[in-house]
Amino acid sequence: SERTETKSEISDHSPKRKAVLTTDSGNCTAEEASESEEEDSLLEEGDDGGSHEELDTEESNRNGFQHSQGKKADSVRQTKLKTVDTEDDDVENLLREEEEYEEKIDLSADTTGALKWKEDLTQKAAEAFLRQQRSTPNLRKLVYGTAVEDEDQE
Amino acid sequence: MAGGAAGEAQCLSYTGCNFLRQRLVLATLSGRPLKIRKIRAKEEDPGLRDFEASFIRLIDKVTNGSRIEINQTGTTLYYQPGLLYGGSLEHDCSPSRGIGYYLESLLCLAPFMKHPLKIVLRGVTNDQVDPSVDVLKATALPLLKKFGIDGESLDIKINRRGMPPKGGGEILFACPVRKVLQPVQFTDPGKIKRIRGTAYSVRVSPQMANRMVESARGILNKFLPDIYIYTDHMKGVSSGKSPGFGMCLTAETINGTILSAELASNPQGQGAAVLPEELGQNCAKLLLEEVYRGGCVDSTNQSLALLLMTLGQRDVSKVLLGPLSPYTIEFLRHLRSFFQIMFKIETKTPEEEHVGGEKVLMTCVGIGFCNLSKTIR
Repeated sequence: SERTETKSEISDHSPKRKAVLTTDSGNCTAEEASESEEEDSLLEEGDDGGSHEELDTEESNRNGFQHSQGKKADSVRQTKLKTVDTEDDDVENLLREEEEYEEKIDLSADTTGALKWKEDLTQKAAEAFLRQQRSTPNLRKLVYGTAVEDEDQE
Repeated sequence: MAGGAAGEAQCLSYTGCNFLRQRLVLATLSGRPLKIRKIRAKEEDPGLRDFEASFIRLIDKVTNGSRIEINQTGTTLYYQPGLLYGGSLEHDCSPSRGIGYYLESLLCLAPFMKHPLKIVLRGVTNDQVDPSVDVLKATALPLLKKFGIDGESLDIKINRRGMPPKGGGEILFACPVRKVLQPVQFTDPGKIKRIRGTAYSVRVSPQMANRMVESARGILNKFLPDIYIYTDHMKGVSSGKSPGFGMCLTAETINGTILSAELASNPQGQGAAVLPEELGQNCAKLLLEEVYRGGCVDSTNQSLALLLMTLGQRDVSKVLLGPLSPYTIEFLRHLRSFFQIMFKIETKTPEEEHVGGEKVLMTCVGIGFCNLSKTIR
């Protein structure tokens, strides 16, 4: 029941966010990607590991949806840019430059706390994984010892 | 140690006195010889204790053609199992342990005898250490029935009650034989339907039983109305040789799971006197604890259920247990050594409230054990 609640919350939030993003002028891709990642990490932390597969599929579905939206936005912007610039290479360069430029602005404009979650993500993931492992002990391993894992892997 | 090729019996060797019963029972069922060394080798009084010696004698009685060698000091035991024979037997159990100590192992062996087992056991029926005969009668017999071991002859009868230290109790255990066991799917215990119990007293005032019942009801009546606790006061020869009293309670669920708890008074001359009110209350609390642990099998019978699952037909058996007891964990390791079988162990955290603590779902495929004594392969 808890899971469904969180899901509904997410679904409540996401349209709002999308609305915000659509009003944002062109720079939706980076932010959106980051936000979805954050959501994923949050979800994974909240997940108790019981029904991982089910969640995973849903997440992937949702991600796919968001990606498609992002792509649409991209294409829109690209078409705009195309109208401005004639050469494709220049468009790509511009895009890259634009992204970098925007990121810099983000770093300087926002407080450092806003992007703090990005710092040492791998370590955090490792910690979360270990926490998960600890919270649900592998009873099979406890009972049969470490040899079991090796046999399973073979 | 383990991991030997099946078929040709390979000797398993262990050290120490722990889990002697498990090892002897599993060796008998698997037909593999067993060597146990260093049995209390460093203690002042080395070697096997009298109750262990009595247990080995009992194993010798129910089998035919077993070879048992014990060295001078009793620190090394070699056991080459024979065939389970059964029949009508008698055995005097050591009064230093309860009859439950012996009966638990007989429950594992009895369904695989050549002839149906009918055995009279004498000794201590209720003590503070081993599961009492009352509890085994109330919990283990219904469990055997679920595996297809049933019939009129499956019975435990308490002829005389005997309390420690002197004992003097007598029970009759009868069990039919089966060629194969049924696989079980036992994953939903359901809600508690009723509570039953026995408050017994021997060689003390018959009022003791009533006082225990009163105080236990004081706690349990808050939860459900269907409670009946029998008072069992035995007199004369059927009251054994020592005074004492105690209580065992069982909670039955709508799906037929039976959870149990029990307490007994301190043996005469050992420890402080126990008030029956206190004992009744504590026993009721123990039952609540057991209900909290939950699962489809009572914690005293976890290993029996796992054994019968292992010995089932080549089919998947599932059973939901409460937290595994240390004895059960060691039993699982022994099952792997003797039968090369490993269980799938999944932790189940209850999602709803009011279903108690963490549960463990045990899954295995039976080894297709056949009663060798009954048919020739």
